[in-house]
Amino acid sequence: MSARIVAVLNQKGGVGKTTTSVNLTHALAKLGKKITVIDFDPQSHLAVSLGSVDPQKSGIDKVLLEGVSLAEQSIPVRKNLNLVVAGPRLQEIEQLTDGGARRGDLLRRALLDGNRDEDFIFIDCPPSSGVLVANALFAADEILVPMTSDYLALQGLSHLVGTIKKFESALKRPYKFSLVMSRYIPTRRISKEVLSVIQKYFPGQILATAIRETALLAECPSFGKTIFEYRPGCRSARDFMALAEDFLQGRMM
Amino acid sequence: MAEQDEDSLIGYDPLAWMHRSDFNQDSRKAEVGESEVDSSTELASSTETASNLEIDLDQAPADASEPYASQGERAVLVLEPVLNIQNVSVLHQHLMQMLSNFEAIDIDASGVTMIDTANLQLLLILKQTAIGLQKSISIDFPSDKFIEASELLGIAEMLEVDQAASGFF
Ligand SMILES: Nc1ncnc2c1ncn2[C@@H]1O[C@H](COP(=O)(O)OP(=O)(O)OP(=O)(O)O)[C@@H](O)[C@H]1O
Ligand SMILES: [Mg+2]
Repeated sequence: MSARIVAVLNQKGGVGKTTTSVNLTHALAKLGKKITVIDFDPQSHLAVSLGSVDPQKSGIDKVLLEGVSLAEQSIPVRKNLNLVVAGPRLQEIEQLTDGGARRGDLLRRALLDGNRDEDFIFIDCPPSSGVLVANALFAADEILVPMTSDYLALQGLSHLVGTIKKFESALKRPYKFSLVMSRYIPTRRISKEVLSVIQKYFPGQILATAIRETALLAECPSFGKTIFEYRPGCRSARDFMALAEDFLQGRMM
Repeated sequence: MAEQDEDSLIGYDPLAWMHRSDFNQDSRKAEVGESEVDSSTELASSTETASNLEIDLDQAPADASEPYASQGERAVLVLEPVLNIQNVSVLHQHLMQMLSNFEAIDIDASGVTMIDTANLQLLLILKQTAIGLQKSISIDFPSDKFIEASELLGIAEMLEVDQAASGFF
């Protein structure tokens, strides 16, 4: 069985990539899916959010630069959930200028390798569009784009779709593509309008549950806890559990 | 171009090109007449033919089942290695013509070894003209020299020059 590789991607900063990666993967793990989540951002926010704080610990950097296996770098952090941290040298990949296509293909080749038993590999991407993101796009089967519901996010989405199309035509395969409204503020009129614009262009591609903006979600990373640990049963925990079910069942808006 | 809902909080819709270029290719003649193409950039129009600039229609990928994989009418323009004041008017003319004929233009900047301010400004103006027409111009595979020059001029971001797709294919 081969894992579905999901890149959580948006070149815009602060849209909720890491929050989605942390809580969606934990929700899926709670539903019994086996998950590996890769912190593909040199800022290491994903690892911190999951309670792994040693900045010197190597991770995906060593997999890409030295050919160490992914399994060797996987740390079990929750039941059914393994983490691969960024590692202090991940930034070096972003600086690679030689190697043509090969420098974009490092992650894909690392993930090809073998007897893996997870259902999903999630990649929490950095807010940029350089060599790291190219690696994520070479490797991914699916792209999950967290979206805020403000006007400038639409502009960013337009650019992102252009990049994705280029990869699709160069790699000659379409991605499975979905969006998640990750910081939704239902009381704001602009939120609804932005959502309806997105619905017009991406019918059947927006996961059914919108994750609402809440104070608790902003608080939990500093404790290294997911929302299910920080405040089980709260509204945001229910949002993420519903989102996990949407994701598994392909339930869209 | 404007949203139909008078009351809308959303003015210009940056995703409009998706529908225009991919979802209904026939509508392209409908709203944007060629006369709307703004050539007021004061870059003299030259009658020389730009035979050294290649244009070809992008081939649609074989698997076009998903809306993303299907390509609308796109044209590819490969930039010459050296772009200076001598070629700016030819490039201008060429791009204006492509802009009136195609929904999207991909400019391949991978071979650029030298580009001057005039050419960079032209690209910026054209990009903004395209946005106004709800069309798109994107700069693909920019070479290091191209990136460096556009950063020096402080317009890399406006030109959306980024390295995501550069040098990989
Ligand atoms: N639904 C939400 N409700 C409240 N706060 C949120 C929500 N989603 C994200 N945040 C907060 O917004 C900030 C940015 O979120 P996050 O780090 O997930 O975004 P990101 O896209 O990963 O950012 P970066 O681009 O820097 O990697 C964080 O402080 C996070 O706690
Ligand atoms: Mg992040």
